[in-house]
Amino acid sequence: MRRNSPPTWIAHALLLIAAAVFAVPLVWMLLTSFKPAEQIAADPHRVLPVEWRASNYVEAVTTMPYFRYLRNSLVLCAGSVLGTLWSCSLAAYAFARLRWPLRNQLFGVMIATMLLPWHVTMIPRFLLISELGMYNSLAALIVPTFLGDAFSIFLLRQFFLTIPEELSEAARLDGCSEWGIFWRIVLPLSRPALATVALFQFVAAWNDFNGPLLYLNDPSRFTLAYGLEQFTSAYSSQTNLLMAAAVLFTLPIVILFFFAQRTFIRGIATSGLKG
Amino acid sequence: MIRTAKPGPQPTSVNISSPTRRRGKELLTVLPFIAPWLLGFLTLVVYPFVASLVWSFDRYDMLSPPEYVGTANYERLADELVTGQRFGQAVWNTAYFALLSVPLSIVLGVGLAVMLSWQVRGQAVYRTILFLPSVVPIVASSILWLWLLDPQAGLVNYLLSLVGLPTPGWFNSTAEAAWPPGWFSGQWGFGSKDALVLMSLWGVGNFMIIYLAAIGDIPLSLYEAAELDGAGPLRRFWHVTLPMLSPVIFFNLVMGLIHAIQAFTQVYIVSEGQGAPAGSTLMLSLYVFLSAFKYLQMGYASAIAWTMFLLVVAATWALFRTSRRWVYYQTGRGIGVRG
Repeated sequence: MRRNSPPTWIAHALLLIAAAVFAVPLVWMLLTSFKPAEQIAADPHRVLPVEWRASNYVEAVTTMPYFRYLRNSLVLCAGSVLGTLWSCSLAAYAFARLRWPLRNQLFGVMIATMLLPWHVTMIPRFLLISELGMYNSLAALIVPTFLGDAFSIFLLRQFFLTIPEELSEAARLDGCSEWGIFWRIVLPLSRPALATVALFQFVAAWNDFNGPLLYLNDPSRFTLAYGLEQFTSAYSSQTNLLMAAAVLFTLPIVILFFFAQRTFIRGIATSGLKG
Repeated sequence: MIRTAKPGPQPTSVNISSPTRRRGKELLTVLPFIAPWLLGFLTLVVYPFVASLVWSFDRYDMLSPPEYVGTANYERLADELVTGQRFGQAVWNTAYFALLSVPLSIVLGVGLAVMLSWQVRGQAVYRTILFLPSVVPIVASSILWLWLLDPQAGLVNYLLSLVGLPTPGWFNSTAEAAWPPGWFSGQWGFGSKDALVLMSLWGVGNFMIIYLAAIGDIPLSLYEAAELDGAGPLRRFWHVTLPMLSPVIFFNLVMGLIHAIQAFTQVYIVSEGQGAPAGSTLMLSLYVFLSAFKYLQMGYASAIAWTMFLLVVAATWALFRTSRRWVYYQTGRGIGVRG
């Protein structure tokens, strides 16, 4: 098995350089987060902290209402994962395994809407959601996920198509309803795809900045992503605290990535390569 | 692998009811499944899509009802474009960012994916390290890069100065800010948009993983055949790897361009929400946001948004037009956006 590889030492040299370039920013973030403020002011380029100050982290989470933001973020993530799984698996089932008029046309239109910049719909959407009394509440961000999104429906539909139709037919002959087939056959067989969608949605909700920027006004409702940005503008001179807060915000996603690496990578590869 | 469109399930049971009744029953079965999505589609996509088009011909400040003003908003856009004011600047900034970041991310993404496909030890570790930056939340990476690219205290300029290279102003620099661009006014050097490009390249991992998966799907026999024909590594890359990757490159080109045209979060954070400094990071997306929610010009903002949409459509269409010339599809396979 050789796939066009150069000599081993050249390969390692190039890979090491690339890995170093990509890793340095993260390492620098970590190192900065442990440095005393005086060191950053006096000698910002010194690599190691003169004294490892873990108290930066304590200071960061007490300077900003970290745990309140965290709670809001978790509520948003849980709500939107639930909403997406519910609405998108239903729609994906209809697109993949039911026969109905205009199905393919509607599916095509739905896929085409993925090309629609969110700015085009932003203003009427904002007014509508505010009109419904959801302005300044997490509901403004959670409720829409219960109404489906094109990307997740697409991912799930592609997976549902791979489940042999014979299973459904056998169930139908046994008198099983479409709901039964959906709930007892298709969903249990689709765990990997559901995990991918849930993971992506969790990460998207955790990272979401635009939604809170548009809809949340009261600092007690802010999520971490938005709260961190607010913190940045207020404490822009305290780089060590900023980096500590950024580490705390990034860490859960990195940990999630390490635990769910295969789900992550499979999801990305599937969404890119639907050959 | 995942199959593309296939005809829907065929009912096997003999159905003796009339076609219209069967149709009604089909609809009754399907409606509960698609109802949530359909409701969202109509209220959160179709309605806003139409409403923003209508409002783009109105003056609308949210406080009083929309008032029809004909093409005034679009005339203002044309005027700002010609005179190089806000909208002209936003078009230039967006084009600069998209046309630089997307091709570079393809070159870098393919390059790294090829390196990760080499048969050497420790690839899992390299892959993890190269992919990790792309999972860092964009809010965190924006804050991090503001620090890394700080002109005086930042790490990047320090490293550049160690090797005697000039140290750009990055996010503080207005290089290439103005329309017409810097090389007419003699203002050169890496500026705020280049810093945004650099930041986006750091997160190239998503694309890289897609290329890596695609490289894994290339049959080894093609490389063996090329080797038998006397093709060296470079020619094998050029004549086997690249053509086999071209559908994926094309897909990423389209998606990357669409995303780059809409880039918002990082732009908002590094520019204090206003396109600072001196409008050098005022992108179309930010201009829509500011016009709508800062200046309360919903009509004008809708006109910008629709221009953006037309830009996306035009770019996608143009790419599809050229794709026949350079995208190689194996027989019976295709990747279009339609699954």
